[in-house]
Parts: sequence; structure tokens; C-alpha cells
Amino acid sequence: MKEPDYAKGFWNPYVAGIALGLVLLATFYLMGTGLGASGAIARTAAVIAHNAAPQAVENHAYFKEFYKPGAKNPFVNWMVVEVVGVFIGGLVAVITARRFRPGVGRGPHAGVFMRLALAFLGGIVGGIGTRFAMGCTSGQALSGGATMALGSWVFMMIVFATAFTAAYFVRREWS
Amino acid sequence: MVMTGPLFLQGAFSYETSLLIALIIGFFFGFVLERAGFGDSRNLTSIFYFRDMRVLRVMFSALSTAMIGLIFLSWVGLFDYSILLEYSLLETYLWPQVVGGILFGLGFVVGGYCPGTAVVGFVSGKLDSIVFLLGMIVGIWIFAAGFPLWGAFYMSSDLGRITLWQVFGTSKETMAAIILVMALVAFVLARLGEKWRPYDK
Repeated sequence: MKEPDYAKGFWNPYVAGIALGLVLLATFYLMGTGLGASGAIARTAAVIAHNAAPQAVENHAYFKEFYKPGAKNPFVNWMVVEVVGVFIGGLVAVITARRFRPGVGRGPHAGVFMRLALAFLGGIVGGIGTRFAMGCTSGQALSGGATMALGSWVFMMIVFATAFTAAYFVRREWS
Repeated sequence: MVMTGPLFLQGAFSYETSLLIALIIGFFFGFVLERAGFGDSRNLTSIFYFRDMRVLRVMFSALSTAMIGLIFLSWVGLFDYSILLEYSLLETYLWPQVVGGILFGLGFVVGGYCPGTAVVGFVSGKLDSIVFLLGMIVGIWIFAAGFPLWGAFYMSSDLGRITLWQVFGTSKETMAAIILVMALVAFVLARLGEKWRPYDK
């Protein structure tokens, strides 16, 4: 079958994987920790909530972790700055490849509204998941995986087992 | 002179310098994710329909590269693995991570992204990635709102900094070799899966 347009023009996946692995290796060599993403989004959620109700968030059983007395602004954080870098690096990659294509990624027979509703729902469920797992694909699966941390491998295997199973039930979204 | 890593954990540079490094590392992370095709939810979910297994190929080759690289660096004395094991290896909270994995797996295939790739989708102009990111923020609020209910579970089954090779009672080199073989088998299976394509019959 012909390769669809949205899958064309990228690096060979093994080349991209090795490049990603070298970025991860450099991170471990320099910092002793790996890459991450969801932590920055958790801090964003905390900061937005803090704008609405500062006292409640600073005393909140979960969010107070980001507002320890005397601590810096929650955005002055390694992972938040790293994710700012992801924005910039992603944007430079998009521009240099002339790949800025506004739109909604969905299966050929899926409606825009259905896809956006499911993107929102998936974001909610996945967002809750990142908090229980204390990380996501980059922090747990990739970084914890490369250092062979037990919980990261358990997380990664469960993620893929669940997604392959659940894929059947949302096949219309992607077909 | 090349110093033995991990540098920051040994006080080789300041916190401010580490933030500059974060920006540079993040730049390359984002750049490579985009070049891998991970800015589009269709390229990310195709794996679950055996149409295009690039997610598996990229992830396992990245994981293997870093895993072997760290072991190689420790062999030649450029990385002190014991510091990682003592201070920075991700801790295992077994049952919360099982539950988190189920929710995250659902979120991945239903939402079409994971957090890092959604950022790359955002700069690629994909509206669904923005909606996914907004959903994540709401999800984190829900997690925080329910924290009194599940806060104790969230910190339960704490096994500490434990690795696969400790669980299986072997060396990290043997464990890495086993994982590498698993990755190579997965690459072969990925090819077969793309020929099978059960959803496109």
C-alpha cells in the first residue's frame, strides 16, 4: 500500500532512534537523570490553579510539592526549561522541513468533532496516568527503560498492552 | 581532559548552567522527535493498527542506544553507574505505575499523543495536540482534586531504586544483552505486523 502524505519525508526510524538515544545518553552523562515532559505540564497545571487560588494550591496535599516555602517559581525547573527547548527545537525542525501543516490528525473516516472530543478525553485520562506513574513515555519508558528501572519497564509494557487492546475499540477514530 | 559523569550530580557545574543545558538538550529532543515523524497523531497511533511501526523502532533503538552507551561509558571510566543507582534512578512504585500505565495507554491511543510528542504536534500546527495538552492539564487537576482519596495509594508499594538485573539476579551487562535481543526480535515482528495489517482487510 502507498505511504500516506503525513508519513513521508521523515528520517529512517532507526536513525531517528539512535539520534534520540544519543541525546538521552548525553543527558545522563551531564545530569545523571534522563529526559521528561509530563512534569512540566503538571507544573503548568499547578501554576494556572495557583493564579486562581494561591492559598489553596500552596496548602494542597499534591500541589504543595511545587510550592515549598522559600522555593523558586515552579517554572524555574530543569524539566520545564527542557520542554521550552522541545518547543524551540520542534519548531526549528518543522520550519526547516517546511512541515507546518495546520489541521487535525485523524483517520480518513473520522469526524473532526469526534477526534477533538477524543483528544480532550485522552488528554484527561493520560494526564491522570502520568501522575500515578510519575512520568510518561520520555521520563519513564525511555529514560527509566534505558537505565533498566523496574517500574519503568512495568509501566512501558502495561502502556503498550493497554493501547494495543484499546485500539480495537477506537479503530474508527484512526481508520 | 574528559570528566567522569554524571557531571551535575558530582557538582561539576552550577544550577544555572544546568538550566542552560536543559534548553539545549530540549532543543535536540524536540528536533529529533519532529524528524522521527512524531508531530502527527496518525504517525503515533499507526503502531496500534500495525500500519506503521515507527514508534516501536524509534523507541527501542533510542532506549538500546542510551542503555549500551551508558554501559560502554562506565567500562571506559567515563560514567559512574553507582551514582545513578544510588541517587537518580527512577524509583519503583509498583501498583501506582501499573494503574498509571493502564490510564496512560488508554490516553495514548484515544488522545493520539503522549506529552512530549503533543508539544511537537503543537508547533507542527496540529489542533488535536493542543486539545490533548488542555485535556492533560484538566486531568492533572482531577488527579489533584482526588488526591485525598488516592494519595496513600499513589505512594504505595515503594520498592525504591531497583533495576531489572537486580530483580532477575544477573549483571547489568547480561540484562542489557537480553533487552537488545528482545529489541531485535521486536524489529523483526514489526515487519511481520506491517504485512499482517489486521485492521485493513
